[in-house]
Amino acid sequence: MKRLTLLILALFALALAVACEGDDEEGGTVATIQDRGELLCGVKQTQPLFGFKEADGSVVGFDIEFCKAIAAAVLKNANAVEYVDASDASTRFELLADETIDVLIRTTTITASRDRELEVDFAQTTFYTGQGFAVRKDSGYDTTSDMAEATICVQTGTTTEQNVADHFTDIGLTYDPKGGLSADVADAFFSGRCDVLTADASDLASRIAVRPDAADYKILPQIISKEPLAPGVRDNESEWKDVVNWVVHGLIAAEELGITQANVAGMAANPPGTEIARLLGVPFEGGSVSTLGFDSVDAQFIQRAIAAVGNYGEIYARTIGDNIPRACTLNALAIDKSVDCPAGEGGILYALPYR
Amino acid sequence: MAAGMPAQPQQRRIVLPPHRQRAGRPWSVKAREWVRRNLFPSRSGTILTFVALAIIGVLLAGMIWFVFIDADWRVITANRWLLFAGAFPREEAWRLWVSMAFVFTLIGLTYGTWSSLGGKDHFFIAVAGVFVVFLMAHGGAALWSSLWFVVAIGMLYAGYYATVWMPRETSARRTLQVRIVGGLLIAALPIALMLLLAFGGGQMRRLDGFVLNLVLAPVGIAGGLVVAIPLAIGRASSMKAISWTCTTYIEVVRGAPLLGWLFVALFILDDVFPGELIVRAMVVMAVFTGAYMAESIRGALQALPRGQYEAAHSVGLTRLQALRLIILPQALRISIPPIVGQAIAIWKDTTLVTVILPLRELKGNADAAIAQFEFTPFRLEAYVFVALVFWAVAFMMSRISQRLERTLGVGER
Repeated sequence: MKRLTLLILALFALALAVACEGDDEEGGTVATIQDRGELLCGVKQTQPLFGFKEADGSVVGFDIEFCKAIAAAVLKNANAVEYVDASDASTRFELLADETIDVLIRTTTITASRDRELEVDFAQTTFYTGQGFAVRKDSGYDTTSDMAEATICVQTGTTTEQNVADHFTDIGLTYDPKGGLSADVADAFFSGRCDVLTADASDLASRIAVRPDAADYKILPQIISKEPLAPGVRDNESEWKDVVNWVVHGLIAAEELGITQANVAGMAANPPGTEIARLLGVPFEGGSVSTLGFDSVDAQFIQRAIAAVGNYGEIYARTIGDNIPRACTLNALAIDKSVDCPAGEGGILYALPYR
Repeated sequence: MAAGMPAQPQQRRIVLPPHRQRAGRPWSVKAREWVRRNLFPSRSGTILTFVALAIIGVLLAGMIWFVFIDADWRVITANRWLLFAGAFPREEAWRLWVSMAFVFTLIGLTYGTWSSLGGKDHFFIAVAGVFVVFLMAHGGAALWSSLWFVVAIGMLYAGYYATVWMPRETSARRTLQVRIVGGLLIAALPIALMLLLAFGGGQMRRLDGFVLNLVLAPVGIAGGLVVAIPLAIGRASSMKAISWTCTTYIEVVRGAPLLGWLFVALFILDDVFPGELIVRAMVVMAVFTGAYMAESIRGALQALPRGQYEAAHSVGLTRLQALRLIILPQALRISIPPIVGQAIAIWKDTTLVTVILPLRELKGNADAAIAQFEFTPFRLEAYVFVALVFWAVAFMMSRISQRLERTLGVGER
């Protein structure tokens, strides 16, 4: 009897010992990904336009294109991605910390506390939006000041939920919050169970645009928060973060410089200028090529990313298109005043100098 | 009925309701009598009948209105593959069809060996067949893909009639048949998994959509049984170390919800037991189901009269022999209803893997389907369909369990 108890205890201790043995890896995350030959990209699979599944089971959307671009840059193969489902807002950062994913590209807002407390590092923002309000046109609501005692549907576990609470504290009104998943609260709003739906303005626009009765709803011009959506990586993996960061910057720079998926090969063979040559990692008129320190992915990583998915504007047009007017999404800085976004007005998205 | 039930045909006669025995009268008289007796027996009964009819009518009208007029089922028809197999590579769809045909054949063999297919069974199979063919044909998909389902149903009947027609007058032949089919049943899960994944099929994580539910639930149920039987016996053991260990296991596992254990699978188990997430989820489901099933079996063990143990002992059987030949067959038979209840529960709990784990089963892929831009307004349709599929499988499990009980004579000694 005693022997059996001892045996069980010994087994338990053994299990613990195995558990505590950490798996320290040589090299950084970039090396790990290259050894594995596959990028583990944490994406949403339930967000219209940004990350969802096609009828054939493939994962597509705006966020997905950045996974492909990073895979092309790091692994020279845009299809070497495993899309890990990070749809659940509450476990997404654990998936990252747990190394279940290498990078989280999932309409995640940069905030100080996430940066610090959740030990996430954020790369360049891929999509600027802000929190807005959708109402029925006949509701009589024109600003949040009209919404005393209104029932407001809001997704739980998000910055959106905290923002609306802060905003109503600030304007001294009370409201009746109804929480749930993103799609659920939208459904509750459209079926009349709440007066107001609040979410990222881009999310609101995409959910209303698709409805046959879209004309019955309006998005208020008022924007109460900044929601910069950016890829997240683990803290203190600076080489990996730099690669992700500069892939995004590279795609934005490509749009500024007029490099497209169609002409990138031609431009690489015959670069029209030094800046383009540097971005694509090719020599200009017999000059030398520098990796700028991106040795683990070589000098042409941005070129591969562009060849795989095109520049930022092409990605936007292909995945989001007219469903969310682009100029408006770039004007998220207009806080608490009318977002006036005339076509073609740039906004805050621009590439840092790649040199 | 006639051909299929040589085993214990006389038991059926006992459960026949009395009015079925009055043969020989015209059906119109029988129908009128049935209506009078069951719907209008008294004044209050008549009122209740009309109230019930009104409620049923309103519900039915609403349902018909929704299903045939209001609802837009394109979200389902356009996403058949996504809901069924998700990211499973399409060029290897044959693996799914072959596994399906294998499982259906096995169901046919099982029914042929131990039971029989009655009129109701034919009806349900026909309804399922028509439903699947309709679903495939609707919305311009290639009709031939539904042929696989028809082929699988054909295999079911082929397996069934092969066993029914097989000569088995001698008990040796009967034993051989039972051994073959029983062996296949035990090996069914590994064989099906091999068909899905082996020989260049790739990793477990390709399992997606409804296929994932169909793999997770049986693994959870079978694994649960494997875990549960020793646990139940162990808990009843007189050796304290064993009974305490088993009791601790059962109480600890049952003390937290499956949701919590899936968190453990995701964030803790990967250090102790590295491996694919789906495998970890399977382990957790088996461990969890096992704890509940163990209690069902323990209840059955305790329900057995002590005389059974004493009788086994008195004819000179060892403890193990008594367990294997006398105790367990009876205990497992008694515990079929609660075990099937657990099986149905774990079948529905497979949806939890989407809630906690980065895995997408049927419900998770329905969520993904309604994230397709053009289908975002059709959530109700998607969820009604998912609910229907879950119900259909749970209903099938419950019917199989009823049949099993009848064949094995639970409740009769």
